[in-house]
Amino acid sequence: MKTNSSGLNKLIKVLYLALIVFFLYLPIGTLMVLSFNSSKSMGSWQGFSLRWYKEMFSNAELMEALGNTLTIALWASIIATVIGVMACIAMNAMTDRKRSFFMGVNNIPLLNADIVTGISIMMSFLLFGISLNYGTVLFAHITFCIPYVILSVMPKFRQLENHTYEAALDLGASPLYAFFKVVLPDIMPGIVSGFLLSFTMSVDDFVITHFTRGAGINTLSTLIYSQLKIGVRPTMFALSTVIFVVVLLILVISNFVRGDEEEEAKKAAASGKEYVYKGGMSTKRTLAIILCVVVAMAVAVRFTPSTPGEVGDKGVVYVYNFGDYIDPELVDAFQEETGYTVVCDYFDTNEEMYPVIKNNTADYDVICASDYMIDKLIKEDLLMELEFGQIPNIQYLSQNIRDFMEEFDPGMYYSAPHTWGTYGIIYNSALVDEEDFGDEVSWGILWDEKYAGKIIMPNSIREGDMVAAKLLGYSMNTTDEGEMREITDKLIEQKPLVYSYANDNARDLMIGENAYMAVITSGDVLYAQEDNEDLAYVVPVEGTEVWTDCWAVPKSCRNYDGAMAWINFMYSYDAAVANFEYLTYAIPNTQLDDYVYEDYIEGEMELQDIGIVNPPEEILARCETLKNLGPEGDDMYSKYWKEFKSK
Amino acid sequence: MAKEKTLIEMIDISKSYDGEVVLDEFNLNIKENEFITLLGPSGCGKTTTLRILGGFTKPDTGKVLFQGEDITDMPANKRPLNTVFQKYALFPHMNIADNIAFGLKISGKSQEYINDKIKYALKLVNLSGYEKRSVTSLSGGQQQRIAIARAIVNEPRVLLLDEPLGALDLKLRQEMQYELRRLKNELGITFLYVTHDQEEALTMSDKVVVMNQGYIQQMGTPEQIYNEPENAFVADFIGDSNIVDGTMVEDYVVKINGYKFPCIDSGFGKNKPVDVVIRPEDIEIGKPGQGIIDGVVTSNVFIGVHYEMCIEAGGIEWLAQNTRSFAVGQQVSIGVAPENIQIMNKPQSEDEEAISLEDVLGDESEGTPEEL
Repeated sequence: MKTNSSGLNKLIKVLYLALIVFFLYLPIGTLMVLSFNSSKSMGSWQGFSLRWYKEMFSNAELMEALGNTLTIALWASIIATVIGVMACIAMNAMTDRKRSFFMGVNNIPLLNADIVTGISIMMSFLLFGISLNYGTVLFAHITFCIPYVILSVMPKFRQLENHTYEAALDLGASPLYAFFKVVLPDIMPGIVSGFLLSFTMSVDDFVITHFTRGAGINTLSTLIYSQLKIGVRPTMFALSTVIFVVVLLILVISNFVRGDEEEEAKKAAASGKEYVYKGGMSTKRTLAIILCVVVAMAVAVRFTPSTPGEVGDKGVVYVYNFGDYIDPELVDAFQEETGYTVVCDYFDTNEEMYPVIKNNTADYDVICASDYMIDKLIKEDLLMELEFGQIPNIQYLSQNIRDFMEEFDPGMYYSAPHTWGTYGIIYNSALVDEEDFGDEVSWGILWDEKYAGKIIMPNSIREGDMVAAKLLGYSMNTTDEGEMREITDKLIEQKPLVYSYANDNARDLMIGENAYMAVITSGDVLYAQEDNEDLAYVVPVEGTEVWTDCWAVPKSCRNYDGAMAWINFMYSYDAAVANFEYLTYAIPNTQLDDYVYEDYIEGEMELQDIGIVNPPEEILARCETLKNLGPEGDDMYSKYWKEFKSK
Repeated sequence: MAKEKTLIEMIDISKSYDGEVVLDEFNLNIKENEFITLLGPSGCGKTTTLRILGGFTKPDTGKVLFQGEDITDMPANKRPLNTVFQKYALFPHMNIADNIAFGLKISGKSQEYINDKIKYALKLVNLSGYEKRSVTSLSGGQQQRIAIARAIVNEPRVLLLDEPLGALDLKLRQEMQYELRRLKNELGITFLYVTHDQEEALTMSDKVVVMNQGYIQQMGTPEQIYNEPENAFVADFIGDSNIVDGTMVEDYVVKINGYKFPCIDSGFGKNKPVDVVIRPEDIEIGKPGQGIIDGVVTSNVFIGVHYEMCIEAGGIEWLAQNTRSFAVGQQVSIGVAPENIQIMNKPQSEDEEAISLEDVLGDESEGTPEEL
């Protein structure tokens, strides 16, 4: 009986422990496995491959971001540690009341929301006319690291009550000697943990970096964030895996070294050999710490960013773009061809880019923005007119896109399209009834009870409303409350049928066959088809939204000629091909019409014949672009969207 | 004991923290090769005195002379004194040998000299072979001995010890007391010892300085301090005492609660209120009617060497110690031999509780201090 119950007890304990470990490490484990997936998709396993590791190391941008992350973290934590320890020395000498006051002052920034810290630091820089750059990020990181150092070092000082410092003075040591020989080793654990804490906080930080970085300065977190627009590439999984393994190795090694040292001390004590004093030799631990620092420095030097050092003849062009939204190799090609030096910087959404341009927190020469945002920027007088005389390649811009541009940039004075596409339905042809997806498909298919639980709808206000509006025959830019009421009711009616409301991961859910159909943008279709040949795309007969992302030049531009050269370059044949192959988004360039694309399903096809990329005229005729509705319109949309979401 | 040279003089030292006076015009002379103990309750200023000597605290006013030379402003690391701290203050990240070698290394001694000294010091504190041990692997008593070894290898003229045995258990403390005495005799250096433990002070010292509230209350040999306390504070602080109000009826007669006791004190005048001190072991317990007052035993505790009893007699609760046991409730009488009654003037004010400088300087070499 007794053994039985204790055996059960033990089993429960082991199970419990296993469960904890499982939940702690499942996510990182998933990521590590996916990093070896030969497919781009997160949803399906398509065989082992080191492809993403290779891509990671050849991706200069990623490596530079990694370098920035490490150098900033290293310097910030070193400097913060020195400042923090000095502050602790001073605070330790204060009276209790004064010290607790300063500890309180120190703790407030820790409780402050990152966003408040980030914005206030940014505002201070701007107020004092300091332009945001690498140095400002470093400064901000030092600032937020100091409290952590003080927090972990101060208790060690308080534990020093056994007067070792005075004992050292008493034995003849000078104050400095006593500090380094006696106090420092005693508070070392606090310093090391403060340093490591700072280092991790710095590496982890996104918000503060985001607000204080200048053009072209990316850390891993800001780079990853900017890539969300097209979806995180598996190279990030590879990088995360490498970082995790390195951290694990360091932990294991440091534990090993410490264990070793203790062992040796025990042995020496046991053997009781005659001890001969050999002078002040330091132990292995100091050696290990020095080693770590040296390695970190080496890494830092190796990855030191090579930014504006090698300015070309014609100066620097600062490009502000959605993350991963051009073929990265084009930057080098452009630099070689034109002699400009390019600094790229990234954002995730139009809404993120807008305040940067509006407040002029960083000076960019050329930006990329979506149609409705271009409309807004024009109306707020934040853009410069383009001088198309300097952009001869604009002649290759497809005619059909020019018509759509009338809706947001009438007469095409301010913008030049980079990519475009439609919204439609991606479906799995092997899983749906064939006759449902004949020549003419209605948005109504998404309300078909037959496919209950297999439908994915967009999780954004305007795209979600667009689907229902089109089905009901209304404009997607309607501001009529009655129509809005109907649209919302329609969406509520559909709710029980929907598997998920998803944006970025709709593509992956479709590849993984979690659902039969999804509303998706045409740009994602070719990408998805690479991984799942059963996927097909259709634009419903009621029409849809056409979107355009355009190049434009903000008023803050300082290298106008460079900006013109950049836009012109993007319309060259080579650039258009490179971008298409990299993004698989439609590039509005007539030179691409007879470009032969190796389609996964149909085989070789001329691009103009691929409906996904080049929708036929009759479909386009039924399409609209997203309009900027102003604050009142936005309020109405979000009011109804909230109602729908809460139902 | 031959009269020796004065080594350290503390002259008119005052020190206050945040307006609270810790030392007030404090004066002390320390002679060469003396074991002198500062004794007093916590907060009496004894540790501050030591810290001023060690150079860790600067006095607000006054001077510290070392062999006649003013060292008041000399930094701690330049003073020819070494301190053994209350909680040992060993360097935890160094092994025993490194701890002991610390001071020697700073003074630039040769490797060979250092090795010899370490060996010698460890032998002196009975810890030979402990060189490579880590500090944390030692017991409290061993750590304390290492702390002493670390201080004495530097051959200081004076060793300052700040309650060095406070953290040890009773048995270890007693062992260490003998150990310290032995060391002092072997090394022939001056020990200035700070403690709040009166037994420790009486056991080890050549001279005891009883302090309270920044003033010296009494200074003298352990016997003088114990047998002839100069005021109620000293009497109360040194050992257990019955301190009761009395009236000096005339010379050699003191009245306590209406009962007359013969004593050997004189010169107080007639009907003068005084404090009367009677040590518990001096109370003689007998059959009712045999002593001076009759009473009843109210409690009885066996504490090893003797029984400690409370006796209610003449409206006063007396603490008495006796090797014979008297049961609780038993009718007894108490009496005291005249020479065991100590009569003291009642203090008129706080200032009078302290001994003035002249008294101290005048009394210290003669032995028997006069009543105030």
